Order: sequence, then structure tokens, then C-alpha cells
Amino acid sequence: MKRMAVFLATLVIGLTLAIAGRAVEPVAVTPEQAAFFENNVRPVLAEQCFRCHSQEAKKKGKLKGGLYLDSLAGMLKGGDSGPAIVPAKPDDSLLVKGIRYTDNELEMPPKQKLSADDIATLTEWVAMGAPWPDFDPEAVAASEDEEPYDWEKFRTSHWAFRPVSKSAAPKVKDPSWPKGAIDHYVLAGLEARGIKPNAPATKRHLIRRAYLDLIGLTPSTDQVQSFLQDDRADAFARVIDELLASPHYGERWGRYWLDVARYSDGFGGFGDGAALPNAWRFRDWVVQALNADLPYNEFVTAQIAGDLLEEKADPVGTGFFAVGPTYKGDGGDAEATAQARAETLSDRVDTFSRAFLGLTVACARCHDHKFDPITAKDYYAIAGIFNNSKLRVHPLVSKAEVEAYNQAQAEIKTKDQAVKEWENHRKEVAMREGMRQVEDHLVTLFRFYRQRLQPEGQKDLAAYASQHKCDTEYMKRWDQKLRDARFKGKFKELDIWYDLKPAADKTKATEAQIVESARAFKTRIEGILNPLEEKEKVWREARANGDLKKGRPKPEKQGEALLKELRQHIYPVNLDRILADSGRAEWDRMKAEREALKKNAPARFAEAHGIGESGSGDMHVALRGDLRKKGELAPRRFLQIIAGEEAPVFKKGSGRMELAQAVIDPANPLTSRVMVNRIWQGHFGAALVRTPSNFGSLGEKPDLPKLLDYLAARFIEHGWSMKKLHREIMLSATWQMSSAFDQEKFNRDGDNRSIWRMNPRKLDVESWRDNLLGVTGELDETLGGAPAKEILGSTRRTLYASISRNGDRFQSDDFLRLFDFPDPRATSPQRSVSTVPQQYLFMMNSPFMQARAKALAAQLSKLENNEQRVRSAYERLYARVVEPAELSAGLAFLGEAPDKQWPAYAQVLLSAHEFMQIQ
Amino acid sequence: MKFLEHELAYRRATALSRREALHRMGAGIGSIGLASMFNHPVAAASSANPLAPKQPHFAPKAKRIIQLFMPGGPSQVDTFDYKPLLKKHAGERPSIVNRKTLRNTKMGLMPSPFEFNRYGQCGKMVSNIFPETAQCVDDICFVHSMHTDIPEHAGGILMTNVGALQPNRPSMGAWLTYGLGAECDDLPGFVAMSPRAKPRGTLANWGNAFLPGAHAGTYVNIEKMKPDAIMRDLKNTSLSRAEQRKQAELLTQINQLHLERLEQDQQLEAGIQAMEMAFQMQFSVPDVFDVSKESEATRKLYGDTEFAKGCLIARRLIEKGVRVVQLSHSISGYDIAWDTGHGNIVDGHAELARACDQGIAALIKDLKNRGLLEDTLILWGGEFGRAPTSEGAKGRDHDHYGYTMFMAGGGVKPGFSYGATDEFGCSAVENRVHVHDLHATVLHLMGLDHEKLTYRYSGRDYRLTDVHGHVVHDVIA
Repeated sequence: MKRMAVFLATLVIGLTLAIAGRAVEPVAVTPEQAAFFENNVRPVLAEQCFRCHSQEAKKKGKLKGGLYLDSLAGMLKGGDSGPAIVPAKPDDSLLVKGIRYTDNELEMPPKQKLSADDIATLTEWVAMGAPWPDFDPEAVAASEDEEPYDWEKFRTSHWAFRPVSKSAAPKVKDPSWPKGAIDHYVLAGLEARGIKPNAPATKRHLIRRAYLDLIGLTPSTDQVQSFLQDDRADAFARVIDELLASPHYGERWGRYWLDVARYSDGFGGFGDGAALPNAWRFRDWVVQALNADLPYNEFVTAQIAGDLLEEKADPVGTGFFAVGPTYKGDGGDAEATAQARAETLSDRVDTFSRAFLGLTVACARCHDHKFDPITAKDYYAIAGIFNNSKLRVHPLVSKAEVEAYNQAQAEIKTKDQAVKEWENHRKEVAMREGMRQVEDHLVTLFRFYRQRLQPEGQKDLAAYASQHKCDTEYMKRWDQKLRDARFKGKFKELDIWYDLKPAADKTKATEAQIVESARAFKTRIEGILNPLEEKEKVWREARANGDLKKGRPKPEKQGEALLKELRQHIYPVNLDRILADSGRAEWDRMKAEREALKKNAPARFAEAHGIGESGSGDMHVALRGDLRKKGELAPRRFLQIIAGEEAPVFKKGSGRMELAQAVIDPANPLTSRVMVNRIWQGHFGAALVRTPSNFGSLGEKPDLPKLLDYLAARFIEHGWSMKKLHREIMLSATWQMSSAFDQEKFNRDGDNRSIWRMNPRKLDVESWRDNLLGVTGELDETLGGAPAKEILGSTRRTLYASISRNGDRFQSDDFLRLFDFPDPRATSPQRSVSTVPQQYLFMMNSPFMQARAKALAAQLSKLENNEQRVRSAYERLYARVVEPAELSAGLAFLGEAPDKQWPAYAQVLLSAHEFMQIQ
Repeated sequence: MKFLEHELAYRRATALSRREALHRMGAGIGSIGLASMFNHPVAAASSANPLAPKQPHFAPKAKRIIQLFMPGGPSQVDTFDYKPLLKKHAGERPSIVNRKTLRNTKMGLMPSPFEFNRYGQCGKMVSNIFPETAQCVDDICFVHSMHTDIPEHAGGILMTNVGALQPNRPSMGAWLTYGLGAECDDLPGFVAMSPRAKPRGTLANWGNAFLPGAHAGTYVNIEKMKPDAIMRDLKNTSLSRAEQRKQAELLTQINQLHLERLEQDQQLEAGIQAMEMAFQMQFSVPDVFDVSKESEATRKLYGDTEFAKGCLIARRLIEKGVRVVQLSHSISGYDIAWDTGHGNIVDGHAELARACDQGIAALIKDLKNRGLLEDTLILWGGEFGRAPTSEGAKGRDHDHYGYTMFMAGGGVKPGFSYGATDEFGCSAVENRVHVHDLHATVLHLMGLDHEKLTYRYSGRDYRLTDVHGHVVHDVIA
């Protein structure tokens, strides 16, 4: 931290000069002015302004707008909107503008305008040049906290910003140990510290390590045996080449990149809950890119701007941004919406900058970066690019196929509409027919009630209705609704029905009243239907003559409301019930045509979530991160620390292609360093820079800087080939060292920063689960495709699990996170390794483990006796020969009832630490 | 009984009590301190138990916390913030109420439909929908001047539980176990519970975000709860306890042999201890969630609502050393229970209060009787309050300008009311307390400086209170 303090001190001096150049020379304060200030000005300020704009307010947490009005320094420096005063220029001073209440946006104090006298006093004081007794110009500088950096100093003093420089491989005392350049750098470091490198790993450890390292699967017993018997000098190189050619390589190493890409199938929390059903296309794209050894510079370009490639556009890679969280507000509150947008952009900038550059640019969202040379303007220059790149679902087929699909869907829609229109017309005709019979229905219903009172009367409404040629369905509904008090008033002519007591002997209403009311009701209905049908006739004729502009005529509002009630409650029609044969044939034909269209339509084409161009506007710096408070314009461009103070402004569309080019520019010192460091971490479990996504001042420094630069330069020389890099690393004596513990070396370098041994590693959850299935012969090795919803119920590789961003959508989310799967809400540079009891609950009790144990026991049961079975299990699981103590412990456990005990024993072997370890 | 003797013998043989084991696992962190962890992320990611007890920044007033979370926004003027002037000015719309609320309702002031009475020595006025809690006012510290940033549920709830409007920050409970660890080795450090619905935002309310996974709260739905299915894979369905013991011993033996070969391996050592803890958890976890083990008198004290069952479990959990319990209210499966206030305060609030009142009071009394209240902090409240004006005829809109929360025990002033809203209960005007201030205060009571409890992530040090928050010293006894 001392280094930082010195650096900050330099900054402060630098900015003092800058301010001195900008600020107006303070006027010497005369005694008269001092008196004026103390008697007239300060009291107004204290009474009206200090509540929100003073050191005191700051202490109470009530400071507003970052503005201090309790010192001249504070006024000159100003707050979020800029300096509060320009001495001698009241009309240019925000303070004066504010108290004048001329600008709606800026009215101060907000609750109550100052008195005319007070306004005059403050205006006059500014006009005088703002004389403030005891003003200390230094204080302005001291209170300043955001000022330009000393760019050159950063570029020369911070290791990550210096150009990559490949030095000659250092000389070593023991020339027999190194197998290649890497070993020279490592051994030179070890020799300087007086530590000897560990002996080479045994062949058994080596082959298991290589398999787990490159493809995430343990070698079979046969593969181990053939390697043990292969005495050729290049035996191990052959294994590496074989593994690099395996499609499982991409599955293993692609997953590392998916951590960086915070890959999930969507399903975040309340604000980002959308599903991403095609996210897996991006996952498969990554796997295939690695298997094809797509050069890293092209891999990067495709993810930032694959949709914009001129030669061969490939938009799937841009899923890199689309698989992250896209936040929404909840309920339309403006502040929440702005926050959600800001948070989404922050995700894009954060993921972009940490993944590709190892820089934490998102830290500069609210203010210039406190430690790294990244300004808030840099942040909004990059954010602006993503602000012009909206989520897009990209079709993965030709335009013609998309069009064919859309056309077929349009035809289905048209046909569907025609069917519905036909159905609705038929229904409407039938309903109106029923409505016009309303008088009959009502009178018949009343007569039914009446006759029912007689001992010999018909008790069944349906029978009575059909006897009297009334539709039984309509009658039943009238019977219901006219007894349901909730309907009273809906059909105003019929209100008398609700006073009827049809079940009792005495009915108050006479038949005459009922007939009269029914007729009145019918008259009203006809009064609606008749003019309506006249208008409809005219409308139909006009339509037949080609006038399609006019909509279907409607009755007036009350009439429409009545028809709606009748349609809904009394006269709804089931076409199936009423259609006569001719109508039915027509109906069936139309429906069949619709089905045929659906059947013959092409299936939904493949598509992928990505981003696409949506504009080319620049953003403003958002003051304190609040998008609604605009600061200066931030034209889209690359980071100044890399591209220079005159970084060219991006002009093509969103600027993504130019951004990609800036990232992969070989002169960019970060891109290749960051990636070779990630690859090193994949091979050793610890990176050379142990904060792989933060190469800034707060990140760690490289343990072996010359080795890092050698690798970064080689990476570019070899055309950014990841496979060549894997090969070079794995063929080094460094990678092939044993992981054995050594107390003395451990005491000197317990963290293994000088790399005196291979780090013993715990498998990640993917490899561990894959191998639990692998050693029991159950693993489904199918590559790619849609994810398996519940991975614990599947035998596919763990890579193919559905992953929800919130971790609560799938049961397997719990399982993955229990074993340190990273939270896919943000880019993850490395896995944590935790050991918690719940992991052992899983191993002891989960149906998944018990099923694997049974499968392993069943596999082994083919062998003749328990001893052979135990021996075979050790070969299969740990690629080694069982030791006597282990054998006897196993046999003792199996004891008298081995058949019963085998699953429990197999479960122990599968749960053992050695199984989840790379030695 | 044979397996028990066997088990005891086994444990004597391994000569490691669980607590010792815990300390041993935690030694990596305890001995080098939090600060140096930050400089060595790899060390932090090593095998040390992240839940081992840690030293607070200073002597804590509260050692554990029970949060009674009321999602949906309980109305302050109908519960604990008595505003008699509402009656006098009913229907009027003084300019003071013209603030932007969620739905920008334009109706006049609506007096509370509930009676308020005076309770306790402190003479606190409490609404008659909280008759039992009212009996405890002399143990309660009310904060009437709460305010927060937005009047939307999801954002407000997250602000209350994670200190930010988006779900990408660690929850308060996760921060607390990160800062303090837990005092039990066979239970999770942070348990979140609710009957019926999870509060809106679900997992984020007890999530760990970027903190290590061990700090995530373990969620339990107490409506459907079966004690032996509280956690995944808690119960072994194929082996007897004795058989399982034998199996566990074999695994330990095999791991020990491997450890001897390796000479030294931190992760493996931690694994051996974790295995033993896991074995114990199978029995201790169902036990702590089983309220039938309580006396008749205790169960009667709490009553039979689901929320009260949650309160009783909360007490059982903190007795065993669980650091943080978050119990959210819900009666109908609605994820923002108290939001029934929009349409009808009378029915909605009365029913919700009835469902939690006795449980709250019982928890306070029970903790007090057991001497636990003094170092257990109870925190009650929602994500915001409701406007004193009406929405429709009988409801109230969201209001984030002023609302009430209360605390009890854990070093806060008993029988005390802090801060105030204006005369109608609209906005906090006196001694305003933002949610960030509340968080700072809770951390302070638990012995943590909210400015020092940081986690380095994505290039900067994060805090529960972000760049805000002031400890409200005036509520501390």
C-alpha cells in the first residue's frame, strides 16, 4: 500500500496545478467585504443552505448533490452539476440561477424560494467576486477527488500496462532439468530461492493427471496399461496429442470459459427472470471453437462482434453478452427502471473488461476508478457501445428458411382467423335466433313453474321445455339466472322475477305481468338487433364491393352491453351441438385445412441468443452512477490507458467491431497476458497472476513476470493457438513434477508461488460427477445439445446441466452450488474450493451416490472374488494398485455378507478424497 | 444402545470434539485475520471452514439476530405509529401528502379503522390488531422514522435484505455469518424460513451473491416442513444408524491412509472433519426443527399459527448457536403478504396481524425468560410503509418516505421510540433512519463496523451499506 500512497500524493500535486489554472484568482477581501459577508451573506447561507450543503450535513448523511456551500472552496469546486459560482459572474453562476427559480430543474432551496432581499444579497456577493474571508485556495485542491491520472506514469510503472516483452530464457545452474523454455524461467526462480524442484511424477500419476487436466475424465485401466508399457520417448506427447484431438477437450476447457462468461440458461431473480432457452447454442459454440482450436483473437472477436464479421458473420458468439443478466424494473417506477438499465450496462462492461482485459472498468461507473487509470468517461465510452447493442435472437439458418417459416406461420394465422371468423358468425346467428325467442322462453319457464305446483305437473324442466319446443339449454340457464340474486338488475324488465317464489304455493305475479315483461324485454332486444342487422347488411355489401375500411357496425353502448350479457350467460352456443350436417362438413373441411397447414409448416428454425446493433448514440457520464443525472458526453472509444489520450472515437454502428479490434490488437498488453494466465491456472490450479480477472493495482502481481511475458508473446507468435500452448505447458518438466509434499520446501514457499511442485488439486464438480458416472460405466458421452433439466437424474456430462442464474430453478442448481459451482450472475475468474458437511451428506445419503455405488458394485461383481474386485476398483478409480492395508480394510468391511455390503463399500470408495483429487 | 457406545468409543479414539474440529478447520482464518485473507485470495479459497466463529471488530451487544420480515409493506399508522390528527382531518388532502407514491393516489387522509390504546410503563399507543405485541412494548425499541429509496416491492425488499435494489449483492444474513461465523458446527449459520410463500426476490433475500457459498442462508418452508427433510439428503434411506456409522468409519480410515501417504493436505483434513460433522447433522438438524419436543406450556405460549411455529423454531435455532434467522410472514401463499393493504386495510391487516401477533410476543417473552433476549436482537418490519391517505375507499398505497420498524433485545433501548413522521404519518421528519442506517446499526450491535466489514470482489471492496449508512447510536442502550 505504501506504493499506492506515494502515487496518490503525486496525483494531488498534479491536480493542484490543474485547478490553479482553471480557477479565478481569489480577490483580496477588504474589511468592508468581510463585514458584508459575515453580516449578510453567511447568515443566509447558514440558514437556507447548510442543512443540505455543508460538512455538517455530510456528517449527518444529509449532504445533497455532493455540493458544499460552507466554504468558498466547496462553491468553486461545486457538486454534481458543476461549480456553484463563477466569481464576478452572477449570471453564469448555478447558485444564482438556483435561487432565482428561473429553471424548473434547478430551484433552490427546493421547498421555498428565498426572499427578494436574500436573493439580491447573494447575487451581489457573487458579483463582488465572492469575497470569503480566510479563503485558502489550496483547500479547493485538497477537496478535489476526481482528476486526470498521470497516464504515462501508469504506463511505465504498472506491470500490466507495460508492453509484453519476451526476454531470453534465463540461464540455469542445472541444465539437465529443463525440457523447454518454460522450465528455464521456473528453474531460475527456484534456484534463486534455493529450492529444488520436485521429482517427476510417476507414470501412473502423470497419465491420470493428463486425462483429468485435458478432458476431465479418468483414463480407463487399458489406457493406463498401454501408457505404462509404451517406452517410446514421445509416449507422453502422443497421449497429449490424442487428448487434444478428443472432442471431450472442448467440453473440459470450454467450461472454464463459461465460468468467465457467467453462463446460465436464464432464470434470474425477480428483475431478470427471463428464460434463455437457446443459451446452450452459445455453450456448444464455445466447445466447438476450442475443439477447432479457433485462434483466441478470432474467439474474442466473434464474442464481441461475431454478428458484424464481413467475411463470415457468426452471431452465436455474441451470446457471451446475452447469457448474462438483463434487469427490468418492477411496476414502472422511473427510478427503478433507470437503475435496472444501469445495472444491466454495468454487467456488460464488467464482464467485458474483466474477461478480456483483466480490468475492473465497472468500478468507474460512479466516479473515476480509485486505483486504476480508468475514468468514469472510459466507463461510459464502453457502456455506450453496449447501450447500442440490444439483445437479439439470431436465426442460425438462411434467410430463405426463415422466410419459409414465417410465411407458413402467416398462412396458419390467416387460416386460423378465417376459421374463427366463420365460427363466430355461426355462433352469432344462432345466438340471435335464441334471443329473438326470449318471450317464448320466459313465458314457458313461468308456465313450467306454475304447472309444477300441480301434483300431476311435469317436474323436469328439460322435458317440459322440449315438450314446448324450447331449447333446453337456454331454459336451464334462464331458470338459474332468474333465481340468482346477483343477476337482479342486469335485465331490468325482468326484475319482477326475483320476487317470484316459484317453489312456494303463492306466486305474486300474474301470468299477464310475466307475459308483459317478457314482451317488453323482447321488444328491447329486437330494438337493438333490427337496426344492427340493417347496418350489418349495408356493411357486408360495402365489403363485398371492396370497401374494407369500415369496421363491423356495433349497437349503441347499452345495447352492446345487454347483448354481451345475453351471449355470455343465457345464449352461449356450442357449435358442435347446433351445427347441421351441411354446416358441419364445411366446418370440418376448414379445420382440416388448418391442421394440414400446421403439419406441413417447417419446424421452428434454430436460433441463438446474442446481441445486435440498435443504434449509434453516445452516452453521457452519469453523475454518481445515476443515469438521469447527465454529466459530460462520453463518445464511444477504447480505454485511454491502452489506446492513448487521443483514443480514436468509434464510428461504425455501435462500435463493437472497433472495440473487438482494440482488444485483440497485438500491441494491447493485456489480452494475451490475461488469457495465457487463465490457461496456466487451468493446468496448475493456481495462476501466475492469482487474480486472473484483475490485473489492476489491487490485483496481484505476477509471480513469474518473465514467464508470463514469454507465454503471452509465444501465444501471439503461434497465431493465438490455445492447443499449442497446452502442449508446450504439458510437455514442460514443470507441469510433469510430482505433487508430493515436502516439509522444508513447504516452509519456504507454502503457497507454491515459485512452483516447486505440481499443486494437488480437488476436481471441480463437473469432473467429479462425470467420473462418478465414468468409472461405473454409465456416462453418456453425447456431445452438445439442449440441457438436461435435472442433471442428477441424467447420465450426461455435467456441462450439460440446466443452470439458473438465481440458483433456485432446478434441483440440480443446489447440487452444483454445494460443490462450488460459481454464481453465474457475474464473471467468475476461479472456483473457490470449500469443504462443508453438506457435501458429505450428499455423498452418504443422496440417491445419486447410492445409484452410482450400486452400479459400481454390479460392474465389479463380474469378477471372481472379493479380492479381485477390490483390486480392480482401485485400478479403475485411482489408477493405482491397492495397498495391503486398504485391501484388508475393504475385505474386513465386506466380511461375511459381501453381497449386501458391496454397495456400501463402493460408495465409500467413490466418496474417498483420492477420487476427487488430481495428484 | 450398542451403537451409541460404539459411537462414543469412536469419538474418544479420534480424540476430537466437534468444537475442536471446528476450531481446527477455522484456524486458517482465525490466526491470520480477515485483512490478510483479502491479500491472499487463494488462501481464502482454501479448505478452512468459512463458518468457524470469528472475532467481531468490537464487543457485540447482540450475538445473534432474528429478523421477523413483513414483506408487502405494513401500514405504520394502523399499527404502531399513532396519528390522532388523521381523524380530525379525515378526507382532507393537505399539501404535505403530495408526494409521488407508486400509484400516485389522489385521495384524502384516512384515519386508521383500528382503535389505539396505551400500553406498558412507557405508555406506547398501539393498534388493537397487535394486542399481544402491545404487552411487550416495554421491551421494544420502535423506529418511526424509517425511509427507503423506492416504493416498489421487489426493489424495496432487496434494499431491506441485501442493501441494494438489485439481487446481485449478499444478503445481510450472509454478511453477518461472513463477519462472525456461526457458533454451531452441526447446523447452518443462517436459516431463512417462511410459511407458504417465499418473500419476493426469493433466494436473493438470503443469498450469498459473491461471498463464499457457505454464507448462503438455508431456506426452510415451515408449512410443509418435515424435520428430517429440512436439508437435502439429510436422511439415509438404506442403512441403519449403526451400519452407517461403520460405513463412515471406513471412509475416514481410507481417507486417513491417503493422508498419511500425502503427509499433508489441508483439503483432505478438512474433509475428514466435515464428514464427521455431516454424520452428526443427520440427527441434530431434525431435532432442532421438531417443535413437538417443547413443553405444553411453551407451545401454548406461542399458539398454533404457522408464523408462531416459525418463531418457536427460531428460538430453538439460536439456542443451538445459529447466527441469523430470517422468518418471513405469509398466510395465503402471497409473496408480499402485507400488500393486501391496497384494497382493504381493515380485513387485510387485521388478518395478517392476527397471524403473527401472538408469535412475536411469545418470542420476546420466551427469550426474556430464558435470559436470551439481552444478547439476541429481534428486528421486525417490512420494506416500506403505507400512505396515510386512502386508495379507493378502504386501502392505502405504498409509501417509502416514512414507516415504522422495531427492534427488541440485543442492546437496544427498551420501551423506547425513536424518530417521527410528520403529524399525519406521511414522511419521516425527525431523526430520519434510512435502511442503510438500520443495517449499519444492526452490524454495530453485532460487533461489526459496517465500514470495515468488506469483501473484495470485482476489483473493489463491497459493503452491506455500499457507501452509505450511519450507526444510529441513539437507539443503543
